[in-house]
Amino acid sequence: MLKVSVKWQKELFPAVEIDTSQPPFVFKCQLYDLTGVPPERQKIMVKGGLLKDDADWSTLGVKNGQKLMMMGTADEIVKAPEKGPVFVEDLPEEEQVVAVGHTAGLFNLGNTCYMNSTLQCLHSVPELKSALLKYPHSGRSNDLDQSSHLLTMATRDLFGELDRNVKPVAPMQFWMVLRKKYPQFGQLHNGAFMQQDAEECWTQLMYTLSQSLRQTDSSGTPETVKELFGIDLVSRVHCAESGEESSEIESVYSLKCHISQEVNHLHEGLKHGLKSELEKVSPSLGRSAIYLKESRINNLPRYLTVQFVRFFWKRESNQKAKILRKVDYPLELDVYDLCSDELRKKLETPRQILRDEEGKKLGLKTSDKNTDSKDNDVKMLDAEGSSNGSRDQSGEGSSSEKQVHLTGIFDLVAVLTHKGRSADSGHYVGWVKQESGKWIQYDDDNPIPQREEDITKLSGGGDWHMAYICMYKARVVSI
Amino acid sequence: MTTDPNPNSGRSLDEASLKVPSKDPKKKNNEKNEEDLSDEDLALKQQLELYVERIQDSDPGVQKLALESMRQEIRTSTSSMTSVPKPLKFLRSHYGTLKAYYETMGESDVKKYLADILSILALTMSAEGERESLKYRLLGSEGDIGSWGHEYVRNLAGEIAQEYTKRQQIEEATIDDIMELVEQIVTFHMKHNAEPEAVDLLMEVEDLDLLVEHVDATNFKRTCLYLTSSASYLPGPDDMLVLDIAYTIYLKFEEYPSALRIALFLDNLQYVTQIFTSCNDLLQKKQFCYILARHGVAFLLDEDMVADDDDREALQDIINNTKLSEGYLTLARDIEVMEPKSPEDIYKVHLLDGRASASANVDSARQNLAATFVNAFVNAGFGQDKLMTVPSESSSGASTGSWLFKNKEHGKTSAAASLGMILLWDVDSGLAQIDKYFHSNDNHVIAGALLGVGIVNCGIQNDCDPALALLGDYIGKDDSSVRIGAIMGLGLAYAGTQNEQLRFKLSPILGDAKAPLDVIAFTAISLGLIYVSSCNEEVAQAIVFALMDRSDSELGEPLARFLPVSLGLLYLGKQESVEATTEVSKTFNEKIRKYCDMTLLSCAYAGTGNVLKVQNLLGHCAQHLEKGETHQGPAVLGIAMAAMAEELGLEMAIRSLEHLLQYGEQNIRRAVPLALGLLCVSNPKVNVMDTLSRLSHDTDSEVAMAAIISLGLIGAGTNNARIAGMLRNLSSYYYKEASLLFCVRIAQGLVHLGKGLLTLAPYHSDRFLLSPMALAGLVVLLHACLDMKSIILGKYHYVLYFVVVAIQPRMLLTVDENLKPLSVPVRVGQAVDVVGQAGRPKTITGFQTHSTPVLLAAGDRAELATEKYIPLSPILEGFVILKENPEYRDDR
Repeated sequence: MLKVSVKWQKELFPAVEIDTSQPPFVFKCQLYDLTGVPPERQKIMVKGGLLKDDADWSTLGVKNGQKLMMMGTADEIVKAPEKGPVFVEDLPEEEQVVAVGHTAGLFNLGNTCYMNSTLQCLHSVPELKSALLKYPHSGRSNDLDQSSHLLTMATRDLFGELDRNVKPVAPMQFWMVLRKKYPQFGQLHNGAFMQQDAEECWTQLMYTLSQSLRQTDSSGTPETVKELFGIDLVSRVHCAESGEESSEIESVYSLKCHISQEVNHLHEGLKHGLKSELEKVSPSLGRSAIYLKESRINNLPRYLTVQFVRFFWKRESNQKAKILRKVDYPLELDVYDLCSDELRKKLETPRQILRDEEGKKLGLKTSDKNTDSKDNDVKMLDAEGSSNGSRDQSGEGSSSEKQVHLTGIFDLVAVLTHKGRSADSGHYVGWVKQESGKWIQYDDDNPIPQREEDITKLSGGGDWHMAYICMYKARVVSI
Repeated sequence: MTTDPNPNSGRSLDEASLKVPSKDPKKKNNEKNEEDLSDEDLALKQQLELYVERIQDSDPGVQKLALESMRQEIRTSTSSMTSVPKPLKFLRSHYGTLKAYYETMGESDVKKYLADILSILALTMSAEGERESLKYRLLGSEGDIGSWGHEYVRNLAGEIAQEYTKRQQIEEATIDDIMELVEQIVTFHMKHNAEPEAVDLLMEVEDLDLLVEHVDATNFKRTCLYLTSSASYLPGPDDMLVLDIAYTIYLKFEEYPSALRIALFLDNLQYVTQIFTSCNDLLQKKQFCYILARHGVAFLLDEDMVADDDDREALQDIINNTKLSEGYLTLARDIEVMEPKSPEDIYKVHLLDGRASASANVDSARQNLAATFVNAFVNAGFGQDKLMTVPSESSSGASTGSWLFKNKEHGKTSAAASLGMILLWDVDSGLAQIDKYFHSNDNHVIAGALLGVGIVNCGIQNDCDPALALLGDYIGKDDSSVRIGAIMGLGLAYAGTQNEQLRFKLSPILGDAKAPLDVIAFTAISLGLIYVSSCNEEVAQAIVFALMDRSDSELGEPLARFLPVSLGLLYLGKQESVEATTEVSKTFNEKIRKYCDMTLLSCAYAGTGNVLKVQNLLGHCAQHLEKGETHQGPAVLGIAMAAMAEELGLEMAIRSLEHLLQYGEQNIRRAVPLALGLLCVSNPKVNVMDTLSRLSHDTDSEVAMAAIISLGLIGAGTNNARIAGMLRNLSSYYYKEASLLFCVRIAQGLVHLGKGLLTLAPYHSDRFLLSPMALAGLVVLLHACLDMKSIILGKYHYVLYFVVVAIQPRMLLTVDENLKPLSVPVRVGQAVDVVGQAGRPKTITGFQTHSTPVLLAAGDRAELATEKYIPLSPILEGFVILKENPEYRDDR
């Protein structure tokens, strides 16, 4: 009989008796009683290794009073989960996109940054993507010309490719078709393609899509592009001299922000842009007279496009010169006072609801501030995130249930900027807000994450990138 | 020498210029000054001239009287430090006359007297290099040397040094006469607080033993301080000699802790034994054990050292570091950082809004692996974290270990091993928690568990040898990942122990021709760690054979570099002892030969500050290679290893590395950041930080990766806000490049190592002692970083755990006589170099008063702010035992 002390984890069992005539397994069973560790899980350190179940005590040289150490637990043995996690590294490339959080960039094919930036901005409109997906492969209607069809197809394919890839995409096909449809983009200068005006590209592409996508949809909504981007303007044309007054209705795809000495802010520019003077023959006076045209928005689109009229034709230098003036634009645009009375009435109820919602959120915030100012930021973010999410959901639901109403309030989702001194030179870049709320600067093939506060700094007044086209997304409420 | 300024010495500018020992202008000046002299001076001058005449008198009585008076005149004259005493000045023109007369004199007392006078006159008058002062001194009456003042003695000492070197060149020249004088001078200096001068003189005449007789209780500390700090600038073997003397002196005055520091510096365990046997104070011995434990030497106490069995066991426990975990947790609780931190707390993504990558909804294996390491580093030693040790109630049922399975394949090895890191030094609960992974059916998990056991036991010795018992059976397994886990675990657990048993177990693997290269490489490294700086022949031979056996293609593998590294580790800091092995390495395959050469050289001179070797290594780096050889990387690391010994050499090395960066080839540029990281490990110097920050954006991604890892190294365990900010920005800059992002994460983990309570610095004890195993761990890691892509970014990322041997708490924990923590006020401030300063200068500056336990940053020094206790170690670092001061009286 030997007496040893056994140390197990932090516990010490003094004077454990060993019956040296029995195999060590018996000793282990003794320890099982003490510790609850099953014998097969026990590891007992003796000189030179572990105590084996069938070892002979006499050869081990265990002395009376010796301290033995036992290791082992009755813990559950870790098992690998049946379904292991999926790792990004194992995913095919298209699925990696989700993980990266933004889509691919576009290679510059030689002064095609105007095209790339336009495409990136339009690519951020999910509704347009889904409309393009519905566009049939072959079923071209008769009144659509071949090149428009091809361009639409190319747009659809390219958008799909952008969604599938993490690595930059070369928009070869699209570029070719675009040149075919609009030969002006194929202009050469010194054997290389010339830089073009992004606005022109934007307008032309929009026009083509409005043509092609109209044809296809046979059910319900006839004009997808118009519904998404079209702005109805109702204009009152008034001649001060004769007192004549007439009214016109027109539909445009973008609002112009005219930049003059007085304009410091987008809002002022827009107001400016909705007023114009024109000279035409007055039937009552029998001669041409100055007419004042005042336009109001009669119908708002889901995506409001605003163009800063930064370029004007400078006859002396024979080029499109640029106005560098700083024109601030907000992340949240309210066009209520640019709307017609009729539209205002429609907007009132949704706006009230929206205000109430925000008021509630604000109330929450203030109570937070009292309790813990530190957590506040996080919660605000959370709140915003969740509201974003719900908004998106309701946005998607809108097409089926007509319960979603516009509020006249818009959020900035994409900015196309220009850097340089004339429209046909310099560099165009697209800045696009992702679904996650993060901003990505698409500088051709290189997507760079940006902070939201840096987006509003693109307002001009220097040689930095300055906003040329802004795209706002309507904030909606569902009733 | 009295230095009261003479009220009469109205010095004019012209007079001041008299000090210039050139003759011509002086004469002119003398004539010119003739009329400027005051009446008093004129009288003195005439008086002296009279003496000079009288000396040449024929009557010995008159001569003697004149000499006597002249001597009186010279002795009583005082002067400021900057001007020549008046009598000497006036006698200047008569020096030649007196010299000539001296030669004509017959042997007599008077002649000796004159020699004395001439000796003192020669102080200002003899031509450079003539050593006339010494010559006449030797001819003179050998009276009290100090009576002529300090300046005379100092001058004499200088001449002795010159004379000594000259006589050394002549055969059969005796130096007895000089030595007699030296003894007088040393006695004089030691009595007058001029220990550095005494030491300098003795070093010049190569007879430091004399010092031992002359030191006393008042000056031995200053003397030894000067000796030890001069050692790093002396060429071998003088440095060892100097330290030996210091050791003898400390021992003589029973200043045992200091003697122990020297003994450890000399790596002389016999001295350590001697200290234990000559010291009778048990408490003091406990302090020795703490010092030994910090240094990481495996030292076995026997009955001669500590007679009582229980005491011996208690002391051995301290050496075995069994209480390290407890002390560390005391510190953590006191600083209130017990709360576990998750990797997200370290990444601080919220500070990077917009620029940070969108939160991914799919796990990235590489990023999870990075999180595993970050989690392990940050929570190292705390015993709890938010990923691996989540308590079972919160992680209901099967999700225990779920983090483990969020890692892919070999990633699981590192994840399981990270548990060892979290439970670092806490053997009892560590082994219990790792146990469950032993029963996994996944080989990667088992390998990780084995490695984890090694990590938990790192630096801790235990009678039951749990690591050996548990891991021993696995080193022969078929699966090579399991084998590597066990082998590396053993290496970490027994680093520096020179455990024979392990040699018998591991050496055969090296000779196994069928074993895969990675198993061989890790076996070699483990043996290198276990036998670090032991110069063990058998181990060296085994590794050499392994190197010779390997085929050409295998030696080209990235992991093959571990074989030469392990060979180098055996000779870490052992200087010449490496030479035999260097010879052998010449016969190696040319693929590895040069790499081996460089590694051996750099390891052997690691921590020696040997300037010649630094030059040699720089020379290798200056060559422009064409064939893509890889040996320049180790050479660059070698510069850092050799130069890290002391502050000056370190600064110079940083500058030289900057040059390499500009002119070097790519393989050199890749190693430079790592070398900088080693030089300033856990010491975030701003200039180095800036250099690395610049390099972290380098166009060559490997340079950038090395720079990022090095940023982590220099900030390791400091929580340095600036580095943390840099890394945070890098994480958003490199958010798309998985490999670089991985490096950034690792660096972030290192910076927050142990939530800022740990250090990787191998130097301790006031930056005097170099822990060889700590350096070894860093060296292995850095060599692995030389080929980042295939080792750390490949499937051998667990080499990162080699840092564990360098990890130590950067704390000062004061304990009472029962070794229970005791909180006392201490002043912590920037250390001031007080070497060679007289009196009791302040040793720290810009201090703040804290109560222990406190953290010590690089370059910090602590001193007790209370008289109530006496520390048993002169260096307040790590564990320090405090004894109550019997003379302390509470004023209140």
